[in-house]
Amino acid sequence: MRVSLNWLNEYVDVPSDLKEFCDRLDLTGTGVEGVEVLGDAFKNVVTGKIVSKKPHPDSDHMWVTTVDVGLCNLDENQKPAPLQIVCGAQNFEEGNHVVVAMIGAVLPGDFVIKKSKLRGVESCGMNCSARELGLGSDHSGIMILPDDAPIGIPFADYMKSSDTVLDLEITPNRPDCLSMVGMAREVGAMYRMPARNPLSSMKAKIDSSPKIKQANAPATVEIADANRCARYTACVIKGVKVGPSPKWLADRVIASGTRSINNIVDVTNYILYLFGQPLHSFDYDKLLSKDGVAHIIVRGARDNEKMTTLDGEDRVLSSDMTVISTPDGAVALAGVMGGMDSEVTEETTDILLEAATFNHSCTSRTSRNLGLISEASMRYERIVDDNPIADIAQAAAALIIEVAGGSLVTFDGNDIGLVDVYKEHTKPRDLTFRVKRFRSMMGEDIPQKDIEEILGLLGCEVGEGDKADILHVVAPTYRPDLEREIDLYEEVLRLFGMDKITPTLPGGRGRNASKSLRQEKLALLNDTLRASGLNETMTYSFARADDIDVLRLPKEGLGLAVELLNPLNADQGVMRQSIIPGLLRSVSYNQNRGVKNVALYEIGTVFFAHEGKKQPIERQKVAGVLAGSMHEVSWNRNDAPFDFFDGKGVLENIAREFAIPKIRFKEANGQDAPHLQPGRGAWMLSGGTVLGWVGEIHPEVAAAFDINASVVAFELDLDQLTAVSAPARPYTDVPVFPAMNMDVAFVVDEDITCEKLTQFIQSAAGKLLESVSLFDVYRDEKRLGKGKKSMAFALCYRAQDRTLTGEEVEAVHKKMIAKVCNACGGEVRA
Amino acid sequence: MSLTDELALLQTQTLGAIEASQSVAELEAVRIAVLGKQGTLTGYLRSMGQVAPEMRAEVGKTVNTVRVVIEEALASAKQTLEAKELSERMLASSVDISMPGRAQQIGTRHLINRISDEISEIFLGLGYRVAQGPEVETDYYNFTALNAPEDHPSRGMQDTFYVKDLSGDKSGVRGESDVLLRTQTSGVQVHVMEGQQPPIYIVAPGKVYRRDVADPSHLPQFTQMEGLAIDKGLTFGDLKGTLDYFCKAMFGPDRKTRFRAHYFPFTEPSAEVDVSCGICHGEGCRFCKGTGWLEILGCGMVDPNVLRMSGIDPEEYSGFAFGVGIERVACLKYNVPDLRMLLDGDMRFLRQF
Repeated sequence: MRVSLNWLNEYVDVPSDLKEFCDRLDLTGTGVEGVEVLGDAFKNVVTGKIVSKKPHPDSDHMWVTTVDVGLCNLDENQKPAPLQIVCGAQNFEEGNHVVVAMIGAVLPGDFVIKKSKLRGVESCGMNCSARELGLGSDHSGIMILPDDAPIGIPFADYMKSSDTVLDLEITPNRPDCLSMVGMAREVGAMYRMPARNPLSSMKAKIDSSPKIKQANAPATVEIADANRCARYTACVIKGVKVGPSPKWLADRVIASGTRSINNIVDVTNYILYLFGQPLHSFDYDKLLSKDGVAHIIVRGARDNEKMTTLDGEDRVLSSDMTVISTPDGAVALAGVMGGMDSEVTEETTDILLEAATFNHSCTSRTSRNLGLISEASMRYERIVDDNPIADIAQAAAALIIEVAGGSLVTFDGNDIGLVDVYKEHTKPRDLTFRVKRFRSMMGEDIPQKDIEEILGLLGCEVGEGDKADILHVVAPTYRPDLEREIDLYEEVLRLFGMDKITPTLPGGRGRNASKSLRQEKLALLNDTLRASGLNETMTYSFARADDIDVLRLPKEGLGLAVELLNPLNADQGVMRQSIIPGLLRSVSYNQNRGVKNVALYEIGTVFFAHEGKKQPIERQKVAGVLAGSMHEVSWNRNDAPFDFFDGKGVLENIAREFAIPKIRFKEANGQDAPHLQPGRGAWMLSGGTVLGWVGEIHPEVAAAFDINASVVAFELDLDQLTAVSAPARPYTDVPVFPAMNMDVAFVVDEDITCEKLTQFIQSAAGKLLESVSLFDVYRDEKRLGKGKKSMAFALCYRAQDRTLTGEEVEAVHKKMIAKVCNACGGEVRA
Repeated sequence: MSLTDELALLQTQTLGAIEASQSVAELEAVRIAVLGKQGTLTGYLRSMGQVAPEMRAEVGKTVNTVRVVIEEALASAKQTLEAKELSERMLASSVDISMPGRAQQIGTRHLINRISDEISEIFLGLGYRVAQGPEVETDYYNFTALNAPEDHPSRGMQDTFYVKDLSGDKSGVRGESDVLLRTQTSGVQVHVMEGQQPPIYIVAPGKVYRRDVADPSHLPQFTQMEGLAIDKGLTFGDLKGTLDYFCKAMFGPDRKTRFRAHYFPFTEPSAEVDVSCGICHGEGCRFCKGTGWLEILGCGMVDPNVLRMSGIDPEEYSGFAFGVGIERVACLKYNVPDLRMLLDGDMRFLRQF
């Protein structure tokens, strides 16, 4: 809310130190979002007097003037020095008081005043017209001030337009602060001084306003549903003259952030800003029924009922919205915006003034459903107090009559001319304040005197309860947020000062800080992936609806996609079911920017929805992508491009670190893994549990994600990994006796896998074989034959209880070779 | 020339040859020429049989003396030459140590998770556990159980992502639903309080979603760290002390904190916490927009309604809660100019941390 300090000062003494005041507002809960100094536009604009006026030697319409600006311009001896100004206006004489924009002034439209020469004559400023000052449309000549206008003072001071406006963030629990009187009360409580409320004196003015008395009420009010409207008042003023507002009124509404529209609308806005009570003025004639009376009905809108609001928009309504209606149809959207058809225009002479309160939830829903937030709806949403409505309506009527003329219509039995239908009274709330409990909860012995003073200044009645340290507090009706004892604690704490509370650390018995199994595994996984050279990234949890199809990922076990009802764009229409599409986009992002080597991983949530279930299943996945190679080409290293085995190696590292038992890789095929390049993909299993997959992304899929390179990827289920992970690896004895190492190469058919051959070797060599590892694969059609390959293994023989002899090992090795050749149909390579 | 003289000459010549040797190999050649199987001195030993018997002892003694002298000279010369050759070899094999080393590439942690870990560790040290909750939440856990009014503006379609409710339930407001992407990690508070009796000390890091179009200072998906402490006798002073400790641990011991009263539906009293600007130390500069303070988190005493809804008696227990925006901390600590970089996966960005 914009708060003019000149205006606020009428109701409370505004502290003179602006910075300290803003800090204090910030600390007590009213955020200062901006400070605007009005009148800044008139910097270097001063009042002056034409001392001389001579024709320009080289022009038949310009004048060379000398203008006295008093102390605003001084010569080297610090004496007042009049300015020479060339002027083209014809409407002035010597001795006239005028407005001078001196060098350095910036007039509206970023018009900078500089020293210049006009047809050879030096000019040190400009005598201004009203239009040049942004004060109106008059450009018939320069602005002539009254002869008693002081000379040589800032024009802003002369206009009394210098003001400071604070842009305040009012939290949603404080409807009272959306008004000048509320802010004055708040500032009073901040500085422990009283604030002044102008309501009773403004209301009293109605007694002396002109009135027209008639027999029957000019309007009737019917509230069809008390839940929608607790109180509705209407009064009619006849014979108003709609026109421009007086300057003081226009200044107030402009400072508060609204345009000055006309005297009637400006009064309703003025009252809104002053008391926080939204008003609406209708053109009375437009509401009249055939019987010459305005019959106001507050009712629910009908579904698909239509009306045009003041902003010119055609609105389609629904039954949860409230309208102000006549028997002929809706004339306003209650609490949100008036209707176009009953708007007050320049032709209007009679008005009906509405002051009411509407249900906050209804108003909020209406605004949300229509996407229409107004100064009125914002206040109704936060609850407008029904108690002072009649007084405010009368104060408003008196002010309208004061600025626009006209007479209040009174009628038999109603001397104040107010039709007031009051369905539900809000009563002040009785609360208890336990001083001892308050202190123990704050951790500070806040004096009872301070507590009572603060609550009193906020408008609470504070009395003693049963015990001296239990207070009985009556909260005012304009503070709907003060419902409970805790609400009072907050008020006292923030106004006493949070900075005065001593910081302490909780003692707290019986607590322990430990990481959960999942967090420990998560940390282990992160460490392992980083040690494997991968870089952690984060991509959107949102995905395109067709991501899984484009990726060709098998949909089994993925459920349905979680659909967003209001996505930001089509690319983010659902929640992801796999992390891979996001990572592929990152590969493309990097490659498009010339970064060829990409090694990324992400650990995050994927979402699987199911028909009939409110919430989806959320699973943690770990996924990675490798493209290019691990290192840049270096003087001592030339990495091969990433392939399947780099991905598999990462998974082997994870399997080792997670101590996953019975780990194995099963070849993926075109049916069960169409997203992978055939022959270059595998499923990772622990026993019978599938943990995930690894492989080279199918080139067509990569191309669909705008990647023009081979990409190795993997995606594992973190919950499964954690479930199969053993708590620790068991200890085995470090060997004491020496080992014997033997190498052997078998020439076998292409379809004999490394896994199969290794199994043959292990079973044939028996328990003396400690380890076997593949160290070379060799293909040569000429030497080995077509469809054949040579696989060379390093074998390590060792006994746990003795040193093996050469003969012993030779014998076992020879037997093993024979058995293996027999089993795989291969032969030993010579 | 007598045999003795001959031996003396041989000794002199040999010592000269040893002295003249420039390498271990030359020295070895000298040794072989003198002491080898065909060596000159060896020849004298072999021909001892031809020496007159009365002379044998004398000659034998002389030959042995010469041999000892030569062997000693050889050993000493060898040691010298070996040392010389080693130093020459080492000199020849020196490298340009400014060339890059041979390192296995170590991967990097994402900045946001790095900070999130850092915060978790600080609170682990204060006795907190790490908790978590679902990202797709119900209206109840995200709003209602946190005391958010039925018609709170944050529940609007403009601010919250709603999700298709497959259970068949319908929402009262157009376009909304009972299921949504959580807008705050505070819902985890409720899950924890429902499942555990006090004392409760937890932090809950996680992703949250708000309907902001991505730009340099907004993301529709970001990260929060929620904190909750519920115990007997917890005070607002404890809240202040805890967050003051946190800010100093996170930003440096010389940083100050200030608490500004604020409003959140799920805490009362509520506050926003600022930390003093690390660049101007509170004087006011461009980084802190002239205020000297940087907003860092929101906090407050847990509202009694929230406690009651989760089955905890507010007369017996009190507590406090706080929420930190991790991206906010990232910006303050690392001056990241554009939040979207956090989600691009650009290797050149990721490898900086």
